[in-house]
Amino acid sequence: MSQMRVVLTLFLAGLLMATGQVQAAGRKAPSGADIFRKQCASCHGKSGQGVHGKYDEALHGDWSIEKLARVIDKTMPEDKPETLDAEGSMAVARYIYDAFYSREARDRMNPARVELVHLTNRQYENTVADLLKVFSSDNSKIGKERGLAASYYNSRNQSKKAFSRVDSQVDFNFGTGTPDERVTSTNEFAINWSGSLIAEETGTYEFIVKTPNGMRLWVNGRDEPLIDAWVASSATEHRASVKLIGGREYPLSLDMFKFKDKTTSISLQWIPPHGAQQVIPKRNLSPVTVRSTFVLTTPFPPDDSSVGYERGVGVSKSWDEATTQAAIEVANHVSSRVDRYARVKTNDAEREAKIESFCVEFVEAAFRRPLTDEQKRTYVSYQLKSAKDIETGVKRVVLLALKSPWFLYLGLEEDKTDAYAVASRLSYGLWDSLPDKDLLKQAAEGKLVTQEQVAAQAKRMLGDARTKSKVQDFLHHWLQMDHVEDLSKDSKLYPGFTPEIIADLRTSLNLFLEDAIWNGKSDYRDLLLSDSLFVNDRLAKFYGVKTDTQEDFVKVKLDPKQRSGVVTHPYLLAAFSYQKSTSPIHRGVFLTRKIVGRTLKPPPVAVAFQDANFSPHLSMREKVAELTKDQSCQTCHSVINPLGFSLELYDAVGRFRTTDNGKAVDAKTEYITDDGETVHLAGARDVAEFAVNNDLAQNGFIEQLFHQIVKQPVMAYGPEVMDRLRQSFIDSGYNVQKLLVEITTLSATHSGKKVTSNGKKT
Amino acid sequence: MNQMHRREFVKRVGLSAAALPFLMGLPSLGLAAPARPRQRLIIMFSPNGTIPGAYWPDETGSDFKLKEIMSPLEGFKDKMLVLNGVCNKVRGDGDNHMRGMSCLLTGIELFPGNVMGGGGAPAGWASGISIDQEIKNYFQSKEETKTRFGSLEFGVGVTDRADPWTRMSYAGPNQPVAPISDPYQMYHKLYGQLKDKESLQSVLDDVQSDLKKIRKMISAEDRQMLEQHETLVRQMEKDLKEGEKKKLVAPAPTLDTGVSASQNDEVPHLSRMQVDLLINSFVNDMARVATLQYTKSVGQARMNWLDIKDGHHGLSHEPDNNEDAKKKLTKINQWFAGELNYLLTRLAETPEPGSTGSMLDNTMVIWTNELGKGNSHTLDNIPFVMAGGGFGFQMGRSLKLDKVPHNRLHLALAHAVGHRIETFGKKELCSAGPLDLS
Repeated sequence: MSQMRVVLTLFLAGLLMATGQVQAAGRKAPSGADIFRKQCASCHGKSGQGVHGKYDEALHGDWSIEKLARVIDKTMPEDKPETLDAEGSMAVARYIYDAFYSREARDRMNPARVELVHLTNRQYENTVADLLKVFSSDNSKIGKERGLAASYYNSRNQSKKAFSRVDSQVDFNFGTGTPDERVTSTNEFAINWSGSLIAEETGTYEFIVKTPNGMRLWVNGRDEPLIDAWVASSATEHRASVKLIGGREYPLSLDMFKFKDKTTSISLQWIPPHGAQQVIPKRNLSPVTVRSTFVLTTPFPPDDSSVGYERGVGVSKSWDEATTQAAIEVANHVSSRVDRYARVKTNDAEREAKIESFCVEFVEAAFRRPLTDEQKRTYVSYQLKSAKDIETGVKRVVLLALKSPWFLYLGLEEDKTDAYAVASRLSYGLWDSLPDKDLLKQAAEGKLVTQEQVAAQAKRMLGDARTKSKVQDFLHHWLQMDHVEDLSKDSKLYPGFTPEIIADLRTSLNLFLEDAIWNGKSDYRDLLLSDSLFVNDRLAKFYGVKTDTQEDFVKVKLDPKQRSGVVTHPYLLAAFSYQKSTSPIHRGVFLTRKIVGRTLKPPPVAVAFQDANFSPHLSMREKVAELTKDQSCQTCHSVINPLGFSLELYDAVGRFRTTDNGKAVDAKTEYITDDGETVHLAGARDVAEFAVNNDLAQNGFIEQLFHQIVKQPVMAYGPEVMDRLRQSFIDSGYNVQKLLVEITTLSATHSGKKVTSNGKKT
Repeated sequence: MNQMHRREFVKRVGLSAAALPFLMGLPSLGLAAPARPRQRLIIMFSPNGTIPGAYWPDETGSDFKLKEIMSPLEGFKDKMLVLNGVCNKVRGDGDNHMRGMSCLLTGIELFPGNVMGGGGAPAGWASGISIDQEIKNYFQSKEETKTRFGSLEFGVGVTDRADPWTRMSYAGPNQPVAPISDPYQMYHKLYGQLKDKESLQSVLDDVQSDLKKIRKMISAEDRQMLEQHETLVRQMEKDLKEGEKKKLVAPAPTLDTGVSASQNDEVPHLSRMQVDLLINSFVNDMARVATLQYTKSVGQARMNWLDIKDGHHGLSHEPDNNEDAKKKLTKINQWFAGELNYLLTRLAETPEPGSTGSMLDNTMVIWTNELGKGNSHTLDNIPFVMAGGGFGFQMGRSLKLDKVPHNRLHLALAHAVGHRIETFGKKELCSAGPLDLS
């Protein structure tokens, strides 16, 4: 209903505009600028910057001119909206849109520059996690082996060891018997599984242990069990959740025992973020126990992502409160374990001195640079001295450090070539976290000066799991996987498309992305053109893929005519579909913005697709063509539709198909490029082939990667930077890893001087 | 916040709740005069049965004499109600110690489980909520009786293990509530936020001067954000100062330092620290229900401070004709009565905040035990002694009841606070309704 009204209003506005033009011939209508000056500027300011006490906020936004006009007509001027008619409103809307409202106008007014930013939420979380790791000496790393180290005992208190082995997962039913003939007592025995959990994505992990027996589960630390069901008491399923940062490993230990219980069984399961409940797969387990990681639980308000990537601009009360509460959380954690962190015994005669030097190290790590003597006094000595006891003193040191701008902001240094600033730009670029010991050492020795020195560090840093995690973060953002929540489909039309299949598809896509970037050639073109898909047994069955895999994922080659990289990955095809049908519009918009790198304005009119409005005999393509045939829609849909239609050979769950609604699918389209050239597309592979060879598409990928990595506008690094990056990208054979090094090096060594020249480098 | 395992959540809520609504979310600590008198409930537990002959008064009615064990309570005789003849009639899995403990406040069977006791089938946790938690939930459901914590579970010398012998308080079926035996942990739960605020306040000036210094260094374009940041820090400082005006009725107590919660010989010291914290939390109206659990069922406290070298539970198994054991057990139980006397005295000398009279006038204290008698492990004639006021019971009496199920006593408590439930715990044991104690 409301859509109908919108359409009508717009229609009327159009009519009025037409009459307005006729009238304009008779008497001169006031210009938008005039109207704004007379009727709006008193509250909004001459350039829409806002007027304190009247309307404080600047007039910036992303509404279309039409929407602006509509709202202005209805509500402005605030005291008497009737004084401004639709014609005047439209004139004002046009004026403010071009003068200061739109992003283009703002870019024109404020040329891009490298801004002072605070840590994003992701950076904050990683920084405190790594900050506390600085003070741990144990650096065990998980190897290639997967599964958990298992110890079996002939007693319930783990005293008589029977044998050890590695179990690929924990999912056993021993019935009334024993786990193995080497366990001789059926009446009582015990098992411990330990090792590490490999968390792929950041978020809340729910753990489920199913057992009729007594058990305890520890995840990420032995301070307290996550689940304590040592007393078995009728409940046979135990659940608990914990937040984990993706791309890291966490210690895990599971104890169970049998004592006179009738039967013995145990299953260790989880629901990872975006996942479905399943036995924790071998892939996510390691028999090596790593040390625990501090995972902040304080919630933060979302980062500003108004320009398409998250960045730390603007401060708000809720952000200030979150940083305060987070600082308290860390301070309490550290002060209650200060002896452990300072590696000192409670009765050590040197305890206070050792804690003081720990505090200095802590603040230096937090500030990512050495402290001056004066700073040591302010941030450490004074705080310790004026507190009533050393624990309170440590608490104050941590609080002050984490509330300090030196911790919270990036880019405070006056001299942007300062070696520690370079180190931070490198580490926040590739890791979203603080510099490691190596980087700080290079900085201290003055070895982060030349492009080569910086690039060498960037190359070294690629091997760190945090780089993978950050790149995954970029890829998720690029493919809009960070917002996808519900892929479920109509169960009558798509039987068997279960939550488990959806979770498997996400894993499949993650594995594909990781493989494409980190194995072999790291070729951007493979992301779009590869004919392989990762499947497990369940996916293979559902998608009719022949494979001899039993459980875990394997890479299989498919018909290149049917599959082409991410463009045809069923996860994305299903994500950009309706519950009951495909959505060429969603798919088309995704391809337009993310794969071929064009920009789209928000639609002037929001129209919902309603299947019931169409003749039941039409194909989806015919319906969408009908829905968007209006001239005002075609401005954008002439681009969106051809791209979307080219994916019509895949149904709403991403299976290849040749018919739709009983008709043969027509995936042949004509796509008009930004240069006005016509390209004939006959399916997904054609779109992908076009994109990998197209300047705009390549630029789109590079720019999105740059923004996600550096979190500063690429234009701030000079107008020629995009061309330079693209050229070296091409020269490297579209190597994404090399592009990462190039981008990070470029931003890390940027002098910070404002680039003002216009025009391209010749 | 993460969804936690419920049992874990209850266990952890002490620490995490203190960290949660941090600064501004802290409910007002100032107390307005209550519309109607407050009602509070404290359940104190000591283990291993009693020595009936040295415990139960011979007389019934208001003219009764306290025997040796209860002699420390002489000063509160007119405020006491001694209930002989209340029985724990819950049967099912588990030995008598387990059922004595975990059915004491729940009045319902244990689940089958893997904990094997000295008899009976192996059992797990209680299958229902305990009366203290039931009343707490009732208080928390109403604006006028709601408090920050609702209930607080204090322990003294409770060993650090979780089983049906160590838990009497249950938030629900299979949800034992762990008592906090470490006064410092309890202190952190009660006053951690306050201390956090103090620490924060002490560094805010330095944060401000930090911001000022840096503001001068950076470009004009970037300065705006730091100026905003400074404003926010100033605002926070103001808010904190505002918050200071809302004073606590009683300031946070100063605890003796370095008292180990796991040291047997510290039990007397820990007992007093915990009672003081309990009184303090009640004065500040942080909770209206509390449990105070001394050791645990089958607890082996060695009361060296009474010159008794044997473990409490071991002694309790000695036959009736072992006079030495009897003497020691009488002394042990007398010591618990002395701790109860300290609690009652503290309540009696503390004025009711915002009202007249003492806190004891509005607080019902119940002292109980998991067994009637240690060496027989009987669940009949469980010690239930009440002291205090505000529940509409006629105090200053000694009653001999005719083997009534203890569920009926729990019902009477619920009804006394206005929570008119028909049954509590095992339904079949409630048919005669709440005990009439008025």
